Amino acid sequence: MIKKLCIVAIVFSSLTACTVVKEYEKVNLNDPDMELNARKSDRFETNFHSYREAASGANGGKSGGGCGCN
Amino acid sequence: MEVNQEVAVGVIKNKMKSIFILIGLMGLGTIVFSQEEKVYKKRVLESTEVDFLMSYYAQDGENAAVTGGIGTEELTDITPTIVISIPLNDDDVLTIDAGISAYTSASSSNVNALDIDNPNAFTTSTGASGADTWTNVVGSYSHSSDDRNKVWTAKLSVASEYDYFSVGLGGSYSLLFNEKNTELGISGNVYFDQWNAIYPMELRPFGDSEQNINGSYLGYSLRGNPNYSPNFKAFNDEGRNTYAIGLSLSQILSRRMQGVLMADYVIQDGLLSTPFQRVYFKDVDNTYINDFHLAEGIEMMPGNRTKIAVGGRLNYYINEYLVLRTYLRYYSDDWGISSQTASIEIPIKAFNRITLYPSYRYYFQTAADYFLPYDQHLSTDAYYTSDYDLSEYTASQFSFGISYTDIFTKCHIGKYGVKNINLKISYYERDSGLNGMLIAGGVKFVLDK
Repeated sequence: MIKKLCIVAIVFSSLTACTVVKEYEKVNLNDPDMELNARKSDRFETNFHSYREAASGANGGKSGGGCGCN
Repeated sequence: MEVNQEVAVGVIKNKMKSIFILIGLMGLGTIVFSQEEKVYKKRVLESTEVDFLMSYYAQDGENAAVTGGIGTEELTDITPTIVISIPLNDDDVLTIDAGISAYTSASSSNVNALDIDNPNAFTTSTGASGADTWTNVVGSYSHSSDDRNKVWTAKLSVASEYDYFSVGLGGSYSLLFNEKNTELGISGNVYFDQWNAIYPMELRPFGDSEQNINGSYLGYSLRGNPNYSPNFKAFNDEGRNTYAIGLSLSQILSRRMQGVLMADYVIQDGLLSTPFQRVYFKDVDNTYINDFHLAEGIEMMPGNRTKIAVGGRLNYYINEYLVLRTYLRYYSDDWGISSQTASIEIPIKAFNRITLYPSYRYYFQTAADYFLPYDQHLSTDAYYTSDYDLSEYTASQFSFGISYTDIFTKCHIGKYGVKNINLKISYYERDSGLNGMLIAGGVKFVLDK
C-alpha cells in the first residue's frame, strides 16, 4: 500500500511541470470551496474522529497529543 | 547694446525655463521611478476576523471501554470556541484559538459504578466522573515574506481537563513556487502530556495496600467469586510525549483542479493506556456486586507507538454551481492497526450567497493486536484492551451543511460585519453498533476598517 502511495506521490509531483496556471487564470481555483485546507468548522468533526477512531493525521488536523485520545 | 541685453535676458529666460522643465520632468520621473520601485504588497489579512464556533455531539452504543467492552457508551458534548485572527502588519498575523468542551458521559460515570442501588454496566451512575470540561487555548503567529512565497508559523498550545494536562509546541514552513502553482510544507509538533490517573473505583484500595477480601468489599456483599483479587498496580509514570512531523505538497493541476498530498509521522511514548478502562479475563473467576462485574485489571498497552498517515485531497471545479471535493487516507501503526478513509463532498451553490454541502465519509480499520472483546483476554498476556475504538469496524458518515457567505459584509453587528454563517449536521454509524450525531456551526465576523 505504501509503495502505491509513493508512486502516486511521484506521479503527482511530476505533474508540476505539466501546467502552469497564471494568476489571472485562477478564478475558479480561488473559489472558497476549492480550498485545500480543512474549514474551521470541520475541526469538531476531526476532533471526534480522533477520539472515536484509531487513525489520525494527514488531514490538516492534530495527529496526537493534547487530549486523552490517540 | 540694449537690444543685445534684451536678447541675452530672453535667451537666459528660455534656458531657465528649459532647466525648470527638465528639473520638473526629472522630479516626475523620480516619482514614477520610485512608484515602480515600491512593490505592491497585499496584506495577508485585511482586518481582524472573529469566528464563533459551536458544536453539539451525542453518541450511544453498548461497548463501553470503561466497563471492559460492554455497557452504555452514551455521551453528550458541547464545545463553544472562539478564534480571533489579528493582522499585526502587512505580513504578520496573530491567532488566538480558545475553546471549552463540556461533556457528560454515562460510561465514564461508571468509573465509579457503585454509587447507585443496583449497579450494572448499562446504567448511568451519578458520580463526579460522569461530567468534565476540557479547556484548550492555542496561540499561533505567522509571518509571510514580501513576495508571499514563504510562510512560517509558530504555535503554542495548552489543554487541560480533570485527569489530563497537555502543553504543545509547533512550527511550520511553507514554500510556494512555480508561479504559486506548487506549495511545499513541513511542520513539526511536540506535545508533553501528563495524566492524573483515575482508576476504576473498586481497584483504588488495592493501590494503597494488600486487600484481604472475604465475601464483602467496600460495604457490599460479593456475588460469584468471593475472593476478589484483581490484577492491578498503579502506573508510576503518568507522562505521555508525542512527536509529530508532517509534509505536504499542494499542486494546481489545471484551471479547475488542484490537489494536496499530506503525510504525518508520529512517535509517542509514555503512558499510552487509559487508566480507567476495565479489562476482564476469561481465566479469572468473575466477582460481582449486584449486577456489576468488578474489574479484573485495567487496560495495558505498550509504552511506545509509531504511526504513519498518508492522505490526499483532490478538488475539481465542475461549474459555477458545483464543486467536487474528495479525500483519501491510508493509516498504519505498530499496534497492528491499519485503516482507510475516503470522503466526498459536493458543494452546491444553490442560491445567491448560499451553498449546500452534502457529503459522505467511509472509514475502515483493522483491530489492534491487543484488542479482544469482553472477558476474552488472558491474565497472562502482557498487553490487553477491550476498547472498541481499537477494534475492527467499518464506519459511515452522512453529512449535510449549509453556508451563507457575504464577502461585502453588509449585515453588521456594531463594528463587525457578518462574512459567513454555516451549519452542518453529521450522522455517524459503525457496524459494531455505535452511532453518533454532530451538529456544528459558526459565524465569522470581520472588523470594519
